[in-house]
Amino acid sequence: MVSSRKPPAALREASPTPSLKSKSKRARLHSSPEQLSLVPTASVDLPSTRLPVIALRQLWLGAYLPLLSLEALVQSSEPAAVFEEQHGIRKILLGNAAAHAAGISPGLSINAALALIPTVQLEERNLAREARVLKDLAEWSEEFTAFTSIEAPSLLLLEIAGSQKLFGGIKPLRKRIVHGFKSQGFHVAIAIAPTPLAATWLAKAGRKVCIRDARNLVGKLGPLPISCLDWPDKVCQSLRGMGVNSIGEALRLPRQGFAKRFGASRLLEFDRATGCMPDPRVNYRGPEHFVADYDLNEEESDAALILNICQKLLAQLEHFLLTRQLAVQHVEFIFFHLQEPATHLSLGCVQADRVAQHWFDLLEIKFDCMNLSAPIIAIQLCGGHGQRFDAETSALPFNREKPQRYNTSMAHLAERLSARIGEEAVHGVMMVAEHRPQYAWRYREAFSDVPKCASTSFYSRSFDTSGIDTPELLADIRRTNSLVLRRPLWMLQAPEPLLTDDNRPCYQGVLLLLDGPERLETGWWDSEGIARDYFVAKTPQGVNLWIYRDRGKNRNASWYLHGMFG
Amino acid sequence: MSDALENLLKNPRIWRGQAQAKGAGWEGLASGYPKLDQHLPGGGWPQHALTEIFLDHYGTGELQLLMPALAGLSQPREDREAGWITWIAPPFDPYPPALSQWGVNLARILIVRPKQPQDVLWAAEQALSSGNCAAVLLWSGELDDTASRRLQLAAETGQSWAIAFRSLQAISQPSAAALRIRVTAGETGTDLGILKSRGGRPAVVRDYAG
Repeated sequence: MVSSRKPPAALREASPTPSLKSKSKRARLHSSPEQLSLVPTASVDLPSTRLPVIALRQLWLGAYLPLLSLEALVQSSEPAAVFEEQHGIRKILLGNAAAHAAGISPGLSINAALALIPTVQLEERNLAREARVLKDLAEWSEEFTAFTSIEAPSLLLLEIAGSQKLFGGIKPLRKRIVHGFKSQGFHVAIAIAPTPLAATWLAKAGRKVCIRDARNLVGKLGPLPISCLDWPDKVCQSLRGMGVNSIGEALRLPRQGFAKRFGASRLLEFDRATGCMPDPRVNYRGPEHFVADYDLNEEESDAALILNICQKLLAQLEHFLLTRQLAVQHVEFIFFHLQEPATHLSLGCVQADRVAQHWFDLLEIKFDCMNLSAPIIAIQLCGGHGQRFDAETSALPFNREKPQRYNTSMAHLAERLSARIGEEAVHGVMMVAEHRPQYAWRYREAFSDVPKCASTSFYSRSFDTSGIDTPELLADIRRTNSLVLRRPLWMLQAPEPLLTDDNRPCYQGVLLLLDGPERLETGWWDSEGIARDYFVAKTPQGVNLWIYRDRGKNRNASWYLHGMFG
Repeated sequence: MSDALENLLKNPRIWRGQAQAKGAGWEGLASGYPKLDQHLPGGGWPQHALTEIFLDHYGTGELQLLMPALAGLSQPREDREAGWITWIAPPFDPYPPALSQWGVNLARILIVRPKQPQDVLWAAEQALSSGNCAAVLLWSGELDDTASRRLQLAAETGQSWAIAFRSLQAISQPSAAALRIRVTAGETGTDLGILKSRGGRPAVVRDYAG
C-alpha cells in the first residue's frame, strides 16, 4: 500500500518547460474570447516556482460514497434506481447491481427502465436526505477520529493520524471503517493521503492507496484523470483540448501560465493537494446530547426523594441547554433497579422547552400514574435532540390589566393534560372540504397549524363574527342559518340503526320528520361512497335528530340516526 | 329614620336580592337569547363561575343555548384575545361544521377525552385554574358538593366559565354553582327552568329561542 517510489524527475523540476504542442494550444486559447472568459479575474498571489512540501503531520482518509443518492433512499437487493429530472425528462441517475444486470444504466429515461423491468423500484433523488445521511455517517465516524469533515455531496474526510495507535495501525483502522460502512449498507471507496484534497481525488478515482509521505503525492496523483477534480466541464474540456488528460500533465504546465488561464484558485488546489500549501478544513460536530446520572447510596422507593433528585438532574439539563441556546422537545428518565429491568419514563412537550420547572411539572404528573416495580438504585436523564431555542420577546409586566397570551400557556395546559390522560386523548378539530358528513371534519393535533385549504370553508366565510356584539351576532347567525343547510352539533361516532314502525323510523317513539330530504350521494370514487336522504326529525320528547334513509345497495331502505341538534 | 335604615342595610347579614346584584354584582356574558338574559342577574351568563345545566336527554337544546356566548368568546375582540373553549368528556363528537355555522372559531377548540372517570374532574380543574380557557364544558357523571365547590373555586382563580352538564336525577344535590338551569323540551321549543341564580330569582323561560 505504502508507496516508496520517488516521483519522476520531471515532476520535481521547479519549472518544467512546456512542450511545443501545448504552446501552440496556448496561442489558440488566447485567440478565443469564449475560452478567455473562463479565466477568473481574481487572482491569489502565488509564487511562480513550485513550493517545497511542508511538513505534514496529518493523514486523511477519504471515504467516497459513489452510490449515496441510491443508498440513502433504497437498501434492497431487488432492482431499484434513483431518477432525476433533467430538462423536463426524468432520467435514471443510478441503479443498484440488480438493476444494472437488467440493463438499467444511468441516463436511461424512466419509461425505458420500466419497460425493461416493470417491478423496478424507482425513487426520485432526494438531496436533503442525502445530506442528512452524510451527517449521520459523519456523527458515526466520530468514533474513529476527532476530526471529521463533510465534503458535499458524497464524501467524508477523516483525519486519522492521531487514531492510528489506538486502533493498532492504519490497516486495522481502515478495515474497521470499511466494515462499518458496509454493515450500514453503503458502498465506499477509501483512499488515505497526507492532504485532504489528495485523499478526495484518490477516493473519487477509486484508488485504494495509502500514502504516508507527502513527497510521494505528486507521483501518485499524476496518473489520475482530470475528471476526478470536480472542475466545471468547460475547464476540463479546454484542458483536454490542450492535450492534458491527467493531473500529472496539468502539474507539468508552467505555473504562471496555468494561473493566468485557469485561475489562481485552481493552482492553489494543486498546491494544497500536493502538500505545498496548508489546507484548513472545518470540523463537523454532531449535535450534543445531554446525559446525566445520579447514583443512590442504597435502594430507594420514596417518591419525594426521587423527585427531588430528578429536579436536580433537570436543573443540570436546563443549565446545559441555556449555555448552548438550545431547547429540547423530549427527555427521558431511566430508573434503574437492582433486580428488575430498568423503568423508562419519557416526557414530551408541544414546543421545545428548556425550563426545568415545566419538565418537572410534567414529570410529577407522570410519576404519580406510574407504578415502580422495585426500589430505585440509580437515575439517568437523557435529553432529546437539541433544537435552536426561539426566545420570544415579552412585554414587561407593568400593565397587569392586559390579557395574557393564550397560546404559549395553553400549550403547557395541553402538555399537562396529555401527560396524564395520554396524547391521543387531547386534540383540536378542523374541517375538511367534503360532502360526506362523517368526513367533513377530523381531529388535528392540538397546536399544529391548521392547513389553509380546510379552514376556508363556505360556512366560516359566510359571515365575519369579529367585533359583532352577541345579539346582533345571533341575528346574523339566524339569517345565515336559513341560507345554509342545518348541521347537528352532536355527531354520533357511528350511525345507529333505527327501528321502524310501519316504515316510519322510531327513536324513543315514532319520529316526526320536520325537514328534508337532503340528498347526499357522493364518494363513488372510493369504497366509502354514500347514497343517503337526510332528514331533521323530532322525537316525542322534543329532541331534534338528524337521521337518514340509506338508499344504498339494499333497496329496502333502512333508517339510521347520525346526529342530534343539541 | 333613614339613617337607621341605612345602618341596618349596611349590616352584612342582610341580603337584598336582585337589586343588590344589579348594583355591585358582575356583568353577565350576554347569552344571545333576550328572553333568558332578562332573568339572569347582570343580564347574562355568570362569567368566572360554575354553571350547571340539567337535562334528561342529550340533544334537548343544551348546546344551542350556549352557542352564541361560546362563539363570542372564541372570536378575538379589541380588548382581548380569542378565548379557548375546552370540552372535557363530551358524550358524542361535537360536529365542527355545525360549530362553524354557529360562528365558533374552530382553531380555539380543545377536546379532552379522559379514559378514567376521575380524570374528568382533574382535567376540568386543570383547565379552569390554568387561566387559559375562556370556557370549560364538562360532562361528568359524578359531581358532589365538594367537587362543585372546587370547580367553582378553580373557575374564580382562572377567570374562566365552567359549565357542567348533569342528569336531572342530580337536581336535588346541593351545589356551589352560581347558576343552575334545567333544560326540558316544551310544547313549542326548549323550556328553561332557572333553579338557582346567585343574586337572582328562580324563573321559568318558555321556548327560550323563540
